[in-house]
Amino acid sequence: MTQVKQPALALMGHLVLGYPTLEESIRTAEKYVEGGVEILELQIPFSHPTADGPVITAACREAVEHQRVSMNDCLEALNTIRQRFPEQEIMVMSYVNRVYAFGIQRFVEAMTNLGIRHLIIPDLPVDETPAAVITRHANIKLVPVLAANVTDARLDKLLNAGFDFFYLMSDFKITGSTFSLHPRLQQVIGRIKQTVPEARVGIGFGISTPEQVQTVHAAADVAIIGSALIRAQEAGGLETYLSSLTPASVGSA
Amino acid sequence: MTPTQTAYKNLIFQSEGYFGAYGGCFVPEVLLPGLQEIAAAFDEAKTDAAFLAEFNDTLQTFSGRPTAFTPLPRLTEEIGGARLFLKNEGLNHTGAHKITHCIGQILLARRLGKRRIIAETGAGQHGYATAAVCARFGLDCTVYMGKKDYERQRPNVYWMELLGARVVPVEDGTQTLNDAVIAAFKDWVEHPESYYLLGSAVGPHPYPAMNTFFQKVVGEEIRSQCIDAAGRLPDYCVACVGGGSNAMGMFYDFLDDEDVRLIGVEAGGRGTRPGEHAAKVLHGQLGIFEGYHSYFLQDGDGNIASTHSVSAGLDYCGVSPILAYLADEGRVQFETASDEAALAAVQRLARSEGLIPALESAHAFAHAFELAANLPKDQIVVINASGRGEKDLFITMRHFQEESLVAYAQHLLK
Ligand SMILES: Cc1ncc(COP(=O)(O)O)c(C=O)c1O
Repeated sequence: MTQVKQPALALMGHLVLGYPTLEESIRTAEKYVEGGVEILELQIPFSHPTADGPVITAACREAVEHQRVSMNDCLEALNTIRQRFPEQEIMVMSYVNRVYAFGIQRFVEAMTNLGIRHLIIPDLPVDETPAAVITRHANIKLVPVLAANVTDARLDKLLNAGFDFFYLMSDFKITGSTFSLHPRLQQVIGRIKQTVPEARVGIGFGISTPEQVQTVHAAADVAIIGSALIRAQEAGGLETYLSSLTPASVGSA
Repeated sequence: MTPTQTAYKNLIFQSEGYFGAYGGCFVPEVLLPGLQEIAAAFDEAKTDAAFLAEFNDTLQTFSGRPTAFTPLPRLTEEIGGARLFLKNEGLNHTGAHKITHCIGQILLARRLGKRRIIAETGAGQHGYATAAVCARFGLDCTVYMGKKDYERQRPNVYWMELLGARVVPVEDGTQTLNDAVIAAFKDWVEHPESYYLLGSAVGPHPYPAMNTFFQKVVGEEIRSQCIDAAGRLPDYCVACVGGGSNAMGMFYDFLDDEDVRLIGVEAGGRGTRPGEHAAKVLHGQLGIFEGYHSYFLQDGDGNIASTHSVSAGLDYCGVSPILAYLADEGRVQFETASDEAALAAVQRLARSEGLIPALESAHAFAHAFELAANLPKDQIVVINASGRGEKDLFITMRHFQEESLVAYAQHLLK
């Protein structure tokens, strides 16, 4: 067996395409990358983001109802970001109905053409029929979004299904809540690392401070930040906020 | 009877949540353990004689089943076509069919040792029924209700609170049932040890099949009551369709009787443009939302559209995956009735038969009156009066007697 390299610690920054405008969301993605965010998580907004808290829900609503960003707008924005940063790791997040309406196969092709290798679709359990259209592609993977109540049987099944990134909810929360790390996650992470050592583990939901990023990096590979970045952007302090976060991820690598 | 047709009844409870291509369990992983726990408990309970005995006993002693099967002789004569009967689900405790699946689910929640119940409500009937069974069995109850529904169905908010429930108005989105469902799911993510008592034949597995199972008593009663009253089965069964629980309750027992035609009536609202109605089978597209694959009202890009109906209980973007399947199969036929037609049906049933239906149910009546007019006199049409109309006091009164409503409001303020 080959020696597996420990994945590097990283920050994943989430944003909603089309919020506050399509142009500005592209600009925000650039600021994330320039500010040291290693992985972009770009959300294609859905009218009813069922797993998101108030900050991201409001951003999605603005993007859908007022900016009226279409799937094609989002694909163009993704393309612009890709042109600007050819090597950047980008994960695309959305809800299943947007992908289904566009055509799952067509969506997967558009994503692979953009060099996107991970899709986060929280309301698409990986074993529901439509997920098969995605899982049979070699170049793109779904990211299971798990919580501390995942059963051992379920986790074993997922660990043997070829996934290479696991997104853990920090606790029983919706996005943007106050941060806490559920005690059982350590055991879940241990099991993932033992079974699929090369897989990365990200933790998200409620992370906002450099200390919380450090806490997450002590337990997992990737700290995922969403609502706090949107709040910083709304307050006009995105660059300062980003620079407060990045030393934590760079320093401990 | 052809073999394919005899399969419908069996299929629904043996499908693991898939009805043709529809249904499924499209929820975040965090909700899967809770849903699987409920599905497993339901699987056991549905063949457990002690559970079923307690369910039937509670239906009788708490809700007053069986409900009446009522001939409508004056309307039959006025309309001059088919013989009309109604199944009076409005006689249930709390005023609608909703309490039936609430009783079933609360017994299941108790079996699972749950202490806290979450529910969503549109018209408030499901929330009211949930609050009543929670009080009856001593469980904590939180009900989410879209702000618009909270305001237009205020009497039900009051009843829920009187029963000790916490009613949370949801200010997101269009502030109707859809938003209440999402808020309830979010609560469940934050409290995965709670029991989510979902109120229609929609949502992820096992709710569509489970609520159909509990509601099927309606069709079973109609079968024997219609034979007693008319010597045979109905030719037509007509029910309104919001999510589909009262329709599935009425239709289930007849699915394999190919001569009984089944008609679901959707809210035609005030027009056929997007946002003016809630007719998802007739005007929706396939989608995957709120846990299930079915027809949804949405824009071409997969965003959920707003809906409109004078009745809060039909003002919802999706429809039972079981009904979507039966619609595709041609087993259930779909029609619409407008806001105006529903209001007129309330008045007509009141004047001619001394019965006041809920605005939701009035959609079924509006269509049935048209249907009956064009049928021969030997045909039998049964209409499901899913609820009674008292909850709509302030809506129908504004429509029929606005001045007395205003005068009464002024009197109260004095
Ligand atoms: C009296 C009544 N009928 C019908 C409905 C619609 O729901 P369903 O289609 O699930 O029966 C409601 C919903 O609130 C209701 O209160």
